[in-house]
Amino acid sequence: MLAAPWVCRSCARSLRSVGSPRLLRRASTIAALPPALVERARKIAAEHDKLTTALETDFDQKTAVRAGEISRVATALREFEKASASLAELRSLLESNDTELRELARDDLESTQAQLADLGRKLSVALTPKHPFADMPCLLEIRPGPGGTEGRFFADSLFRMYRSYCENKGYPTRIVKYEVSESDGQKGSEGEVALQEAVLEVQQIGAYGEFRGESGMHRVQRVPATEKSGRTHTSAVAVWVLPSFPESPSTDAESEWDNPESDFYIDVAEVRVETMRARGAGGQHVNKTESAIRLTHMPTGTMVSMQDSRSQHTNRREAWRLLRSRMAQQKREAREELAQKLKSSVLASSQITRGDKIRTYNYQQDRCTEHRSGLDVHNLPNVLDGGEKLGEILESVQGWLTERDIQMILAEEQADAAPKGKKGK
Amino acid sequence: MPRLRPSLFWAARRDISPFAALLLQVCRDLPSTANELRWIREHIASTSSLVPSKLRLWKMCEKRAKGVPLQYVLGTQPFGGLEIKCRPGVLIPRHETEAYTTELAQILLRQTPTRLSILDLCTGTGCIALGLLSLLPPPVHVHGIDISPIAISLANTNLDHNTRLGLLAPQPSSIHFTQADIFSPSLLPSLTPHAWDLLISNPPYISRGAFARETARAVRNYEPRLALVPDRDDETAGLGCASEDVFYARLLQLAGVLTPRRAFFEAAGIEQAVRVINMVKGDARLSGLYPQVEIWRDNPHKEYEVQRFGDHEVPFRGSGGARAVYLCQSDQL
Repeated sequence: MLAAPWVCRSCARSLRSVGSPRLLRRASTIAALPPALVERARKIAAEHDKLTTALETDFDQKTAVRAGEISRVATALREFEKASASLAELRSLLESNDTELRELARDDLESTQAQLADLGRKLSVALTPKHPFADMPCLLEIRPGPGGTEGRFFADSLFRMYRSYCENKGYPTRIVKYEVSESDGQKGSEGEVALQEAVLEVQQIGAYGEFRGESGMHRVQRVPATEKSGRTHTSAVAVWVLPSFPESPSTDAESEWDNPESDFYIDVAEVRVETMRARGAGGQHVNKTESAIRLTHMPTGTMVSMQDSRSQHTNRREAWRLLRSRMAQQKREAREELAQKLKSSVLASSQITRGDKIRTYNYQQDRCTEHRSGLDVHNLPNVLDGGEKLGEILESVQGWLTERDIQMILAEEQADAAPKGKKGK
Repeated sequence: MPRLRPSLFWAARRDISPFAALLLQVCRDLPSTANELRWIREHIASTSSLVPSKLRLWKMCEKRAKGVPLQYVLGTQPFGGLEIKCRPGVLIPRHETEAYTTELAQILLRQTPTRLSILDLCTGTGCIALGLLSLLPPPVHVHGIDISPIAISLANTNLDHNTRLGLLAPQPSSIHFTQADIFSPSLLPSLTPHAWDLLISNPPYISRGAFARETARAVRNYEPRLALVPDRDDETAGLGCASEDVFYARLLQLAGVLTPRRAFFEAAGIEQAVRVINMVKGDARLSGLYPQVEIWRDNPHKEYEVQRFGDHEVPFRGSGGARAVYLCQSDQL
């Protein structure tokens, strides 16, 4: 009789993660850089050398800027090559007949290998282009998916999670929007309320870079407080991460509002402004309290409405800010998509758009699974309190994003190489 | 007013809060009910009182359910970047007033770099005067006048309140409010010394019939009739116009003497605005003084549309219902 023994799901999962091909792949990327990547780095370094010699004889603003941009890669490559040369030397020493020398070489070998891995990672980071909004503060938009009250409660849990994570990290935050549907005093198991939509602004430089991996569908599996027969429900909450820009007029982003090249630029004539009190008489005859503002960007149909404040002035300002952020995000997504199409389609499925399920929070198993990096974290309460476990998850997502960028560069490199090969034939 | 379905009340009670069912009587739909309840809650959370907050919430919702305007219940109304206090006996600032005040400040900012002086007649809460003061660069002189002593004291309170909140820069001598009747013959001597840049007014303009038929119940029952309906039969006979237009006749008389560079009057709608323009065109001196005439709509922005009335063309600015008349001396529009 050939029958596999029954293995519970969590055990099976832990078995799987031991020999995960995903982890192996990542390990190999870090330890030994793919030759195509090193080749690309060499090319860039050669360009850097040429530019610096050109600059010595004849200074040119444009050349200097380009040289400054790629100097990072050149430095990282120099260090990487130095380390790999010393590693090769150590390897040859291991072959030697002198016992003492062999011992010394063995001692050094380990540290050099670690150093090489570190430098390799630095090099690959230097090669990956920096996200244009990475240095910006960000807006976290949280909205429950279909799934009734349970999804809304969980949306509030997520909102609290991000807020307390920022608190723990010391990032200043501001609640831009917090709309609750009050269901007659009904509360979740941890006192959360039924959230309809929330926008949290993280006013920290570089917050967009840190949180951009958070956008997507977050799935929750638990027995809701309202469930009487103890069944586990699955619901989803959508999180969007949008770049935000500081309010003070001195910053670059705001000065770019009027710059048609900028992502934040919106032609004011293309936006329809509606104050939702158009019907009936106005002026002294009536005394309306509605202060809602709705902005519609007509070419794309993007709509933003704000009614949080009693002041129309404040609503208008917030609505414009939100519209600009959304438009900038859309423009970037469109650009990214275009770039994706042009390049290889290998990574198209891992492109972050609004549809993918990215993380699961399972209460019964006290587990949080990050689907992209394949990371399982236990101690769910710590994650939901925004503790260091959430930090671990965010880090793993960062790693995944970097890896993805490296693969994109590789794909680009291959695409570049292909036509050349054809020409050669 | 059409009757509301009972299911709507149940929905309010179930989906929002039992208090929402109270507010629904005056708000008439669920989204605005939810908003008003939230604002009341926020107000209670942000102010301290010895009375338990649940009781305060209940009291306020009950008061609002009776039809008292929300601004009187909460005691304030935002106006531009300011917080204007509201009290029974003084007209509540309207969104339309806020919109044209902001737009007018933009025009003044673009065109007059020198020290501005502004005369605000029938100032009420002082919202227009304070709003312009907050939007224009410092050397501004603003004079607000109202017939009601309650309004004058409230306008002064608003000045102090907003200065204390830091919403207005402290400018001791540049703004003052005085109590006076604009129909009184002694008004003019006290005003002449200035070269006024702007004469602005939101006078009472609702006719007696419209007050009975067209005004909202909250307005009719709780806001002062003094600020809404011109009951000036003695002066009406003297000025020879319809009873609801008597303030415009007097304002134009004042404009003819004070010759401000710009004059701006809020009006009830298209018919009244056209009547005011006809008063200007019918007077040789005034039509010479103010060749540029515009009608502003509820949402004033730069879009223009020209309509013909009788033998003259009038440009309309913005979108929505006609809201105000704007007069300007030559080449300064």
